[in-house]
Amino acid sequence: MERIVHGMEVSKAIKILRGREENGYYVTNTARDLSQSDFKNRILLHTDLLAAPSREKANYFSLEITGGASIHVDILRKQVDPFLKLELLREKMPNTMFQTLCRGINLFGYRPYPQNVIRYVVSEFAKYVDVWRVFDFMNHVPNMQAVFEEVQKAGKILEPCICFSTGPEHTNEYYVKKVGELQDVTGDEIILCIKNHGGLGTPKRIGELVDAIMQKYPEMVIHYHGHNTDGNDVGRIEAAVLNGAAIVDAADHEFTGYYGPAPILSVVHTLKDHGKVAIGLDEEAVMETSEVLRDERPHYEFFESQFKGFDPTVQVHKLPGGATGSSFEQAVKGGFLDKMPEILKDELPKVQKELGNYWSVTPGSQILWTTAVSNVQGGDRYGNCSGDLKNLLLGKYGPFPFYSPPDWIYEKAFGSDWKAILEKDGGMDEIEDMDIEQERKALAEKIGVEPTDQQLVTYLQHPVDAVNFFKFEEKFGRTYVLPPAIFFRTGGFKLGETLNFRDHEGKEHVIEIGPQQKNEDAEWNVYLNVDHHQRVYVFEDEAASAAGTAKVPELSKQEIEALAKDGDIRAPFGANVYEISVKVGDEVAVGDPLVVLEAMKMQTPVESPVAGKVEEISASVGDAAKPGVKLLRIAKAE
Amino acid sequence: MEQQKKILVANRGEIALRIIRAIQELGHVAVAIYETPDSEALHIRTADEAIHIGDGPRCDYLNIEKVVAAAKKSKADAVHPGYGFLAENPDFAKACEEAGIAFIGPKSEVIQSLGDKVTARRIMKDAGIPMVPGTQNLPAGDAGMEEALAFASKYGYPIMLKATAGGGGRGIRRVENEKQLRAELPAARSEAMAAFNSDNVYIEKVVINPKHVEVQIIADNHGNVVHLGTRDCSIQRRNQKLVEIAPSLIKDQDLLDSICDTAVKAATAANYTNAGTVEFLVDKDMNYFFMEINTRLQVEHTVTEMVTGIDIVRTQIKLAFGKPLAFGQDDVQLRGHAIEMRINAEDPQNNFMPEGGKTVSVYRSPGGYGVRLDGFVYQGFTIPEVYDSLLVKLTVHGFSWNETVDRLRRCLSNYVIVGPKTTVPFYLNLVSDPDFKRGDFDTSFLETHTHLLDYTEGSNEGNKLARLIAEIHHKKENPYAI
Repeated sequence: MERIVHGMEVSKAIKILRGREENGYYVTNTARDLSQSDFKNRILLHTDLLAAPSREKANYFSLEITGGASIHVDILRKQVDPFLKLELLREKMPNTMFQTLCRGINLFGYRPYPQNVIRYVVSEFAKYVDVWRVFDFMNHVPNMQAVFEEVQKAGKILEPCICFSTGPEHTNEYYVKKVGELQDVTGDEIILCIKNHGGLGTPKRIGELVDAIMQKYPEMVIHYHGHNTDGNDVGRIEAAVLNGAAIVDAADHEFTGYYGPAPILSVVHTLKDHGKVAIGLDEEAVMETSEVLRDERPHYEFFESQFKGFDPTVQVHKLPGGATGSSFEQAVKGGFLDKMPEILKDELPKVQKELGNYWSVTPGSQILWTTAVSNVQGGDRYGNCSGDLKNLLLGKYGPFPFYSPPDWIYEKAFGSDWKAILEKDGGMDEIEDMDIEQERKALAEKIGVEPTDQQLVTYLQHPVDAVNFFKFEEKFGRTYVLPPAIFFRTGGFKLGETLNFRDHEGKEHVIEIGPQQKNEDAEWNVYLNVDHHQRVYVFEDEAASAAGTAKVPELSKQEIEALAKDGDIRAPFGANVYEISVKVGDEVAVGDPLVVLEAMKMQTPVESPVAGKVEEISASVGDAAKPGVKLLRIAKAE
Repeated sequence: MEQQKKILVANRGEIALRIIRAIQELGHVAVAIYETPDSEALHIRTADEAIHIGDGPRCDYLNIEKVVAAAKKSKADAVHPGYGFLAENPDFAKACEEAGIAFIGPKSEVIQSLGDKVTARRIMKDAGIPMVPGTQNLPAGDAGMEEALAFASKYGYPIMLKATAGGGGRGIRRVENEKQLRAELPAARSEAMAAFNSDNVYIEKVVINPKHVEVQIIADNHGNVVHLGTRDCSIQRRNQKLVEIAPSLIKDQDLLDSICDTAVKAATAANYTNAGTVEFLVDKDMNYFFMEINTRLQVEHTVTEMVTGIDIVRTQIKLAFGKPLAFGQDDVQLRGHAIEMRINAEDPQNNFMPEGGKTVSVYRSPGGYGVRLDGFVYQGFTIPEVYDSLLVKLTVHGFSWNETVDRLRRCLSNYVIVGPKTTVPFYLNLVSDPDFKRGDFDTSFLETHTHLLDYTEGSNEGNKLARLIAEIHHKKENPYAI
């Protein structure tokens, strides 16, 4: 059977999927989803590169390796360029299709972006990404349309989602109708994703849904995505495939946890007993990947949920993926762990119902969670509505799918004239296009060089974090080369410990950890042997700087000049104070000599930039003044 | 066996060490002096005796009475003044002479007349030495200003205001126009008064972008004067020499011979004895002009020693005790090229701001064939805030110019100095500059090559990553990942 590979035309790939043998199905390795759900998105590119050769050999339908929150975390906490990541993985995985998860109008973030930004971002990522899974937490098709169009324009495989949940409104009829709505926009050359981000429903329920869609659209290529939070996603995957799903999601068993995808091999073994065959899949290579990954997992322990065990109550609280783990962590930090049973068992289901029983997934799941916590914590339910909740109520994210929240919630949120507010501000906003070329200039100014298109794309999504990341890279280089054992090391290294790694250019480095000691300026000197050369790195002593010890402020030339114009005369360079030409109370005019400095055997007069009266003299003759040190102060004449 | 003498070294830093070494090689006894901030300095530890002369800083080394008293107390037969401090102070030389102590340098009256730039110019003019157009000492007050303006209108700007008692790049101001002249003349006077205790200044026409070529001369008390060839010290920063080479790379050998002969003539005219340097400016058209005679051992004497094989300091000591020169002009042969660089604890990117107060926590120096180090630094050395920031002079010697530059680059990249910022990374940039490699430079070199200051320390990928590792280590977690 012909393999579906990177670079294949969409129509050909869909044709192969539709024409697959009756007992065949495909597997997507959802490495990104696993990283996000069970490891706070911290699985490093270093680890994915280690796994790349065997993952390539395993012959997956696709590797989901970007998108969701990962792009933001890439630059914020993993310090890796999300585009470079795809380039480097592509070098090691020439055939495997890369898959992303895109939040429609919210792209890879949490709030709607302007249309032109969406199109620009998608077109840049589409150069690297073969399969585009696109969803909207309200299942509101227009919210995804711009992404759909750009993906199709780029000739990539489009995989629109129906987000799945449970409850009286979540009928097969509703979802089948939704599939029709999607197809009206996308045409039928698509893969349809059933996005079961909470891992909700029973195997029977999922089986019936797949069947209902297949009944209506027998040619449909269905990709089932679920989470294993209740420990039973293998069952749901089994039911999906038995009822006609073509592709299913799972992940490398060595890294599987409690909130993310189920293990690939468990799925494969279960279906094998039904005579189902994972098309092309090399089981040896799947095992090999986990063997490679085994040594890496301990270094990620810090990011795993401290709350262990499957959570079948997800069927009640419906929090998706990693949100369950992080909700407990927030409860610990916020000191409301004792309230968690109440929040998860009672309040969250109640809020879901009150707010229209939409799909608990980003960014809608965050709104549900914060509202439930605030309702329990504050005592007064909906007494303190967040801005996002108000936007939700006003329909800024799209219309409620089944019914609107009750009037009293609107009244709580907006006051007694809520009807007028809803009338006036309700409905989705037209978001104005951004001046992208203007943004390019702004970025160029911030980083001091002309940005690449990719840098601009990153910046358009996360302006502050992108600039910080570019500066980080400038200072520290390409740090993806560091393994988690170094990058995530806590407690410091051992004296004499030797670290070996190869840099981005392929050059080998060896670093030996030396001693650290405080120097005479109360700074810490950290000694390292870098490629056999001793180097010292200086860090401010945090305790000392916090205590506000007298340190000369580091002022730029411009800052010193600006202060001088206000009469605050600072030493413009390091020099000895040779003469003070004025005394307190003297009237000075612009250009009058104030102080004579001597540096490098040259005397330089400091002339008054302002007219006024000498108010205070801080310098004395003979002082060795560092740049920025106060010399004297002039009260400017009116 | 010569009679053992005792010689007091009236200096500090690397030059004190340099002199002490020569004294000890001759089998004499070296006496060091020191101010309190130098209590742990290397020159005291290397000398055979050391005398504390005061708390300083920089005043006791300049105090003639105290230094002469120390020489008497130690029963020194001679005093070597080094460079800087009292080296060109005729009163000091005179005080030594009067105390019956040999001053290792020219006679006090020669220092006096050559130290006074106007007198020096007159002597040279009388001897037929080519001179840059200039004035005598300007009269005080308005008359001085008038004469200055008249000179400027005759010869044109730019001109130099020079302190008559100045030297070594001190007390020089360049003036571009009349307005500046009116403002700078009083300032130059007051600066000269403060620095040299004399407000006499004179004017010289500026030779635009000349090469700075100087000749090492050496003369005994018996009328023999020889030169040790030329040096090029064109690469300067604000009149401070940074890089010195021997011999000059000027290709016209007849011109260089002529310059050297002129230098011998100048020294003879001045009744010069002991070691000295005659400085010339060479303009674009290869005209050369006498600038001044430095009546002392120069910082850059090492390059001449490397290419001639003559130990100048050893020779100085012998001459001071009345020995005749042991070699004639024909014995002086130049072999290969030498370059010296002053490795200072300074931040070239911050206007060469000295790094005083910082401690050298790691010091590893280059070595090998053709490498000479004259240093004062050691691992654990704290850069003094009250003295100069010279750590070590690196001098390399090679057969050809290219070989010498290659060796210099290799030595610079072998340096490991942890703690203060140094001029090493700047020099590394400099030695890779195509103009420098071609030997194509004049005194405008640094102004026209400011990009040489544009370097990033530790900019390679390994060093960048090491910086992150240092932070992860120090903060006990990766602050950019948690």
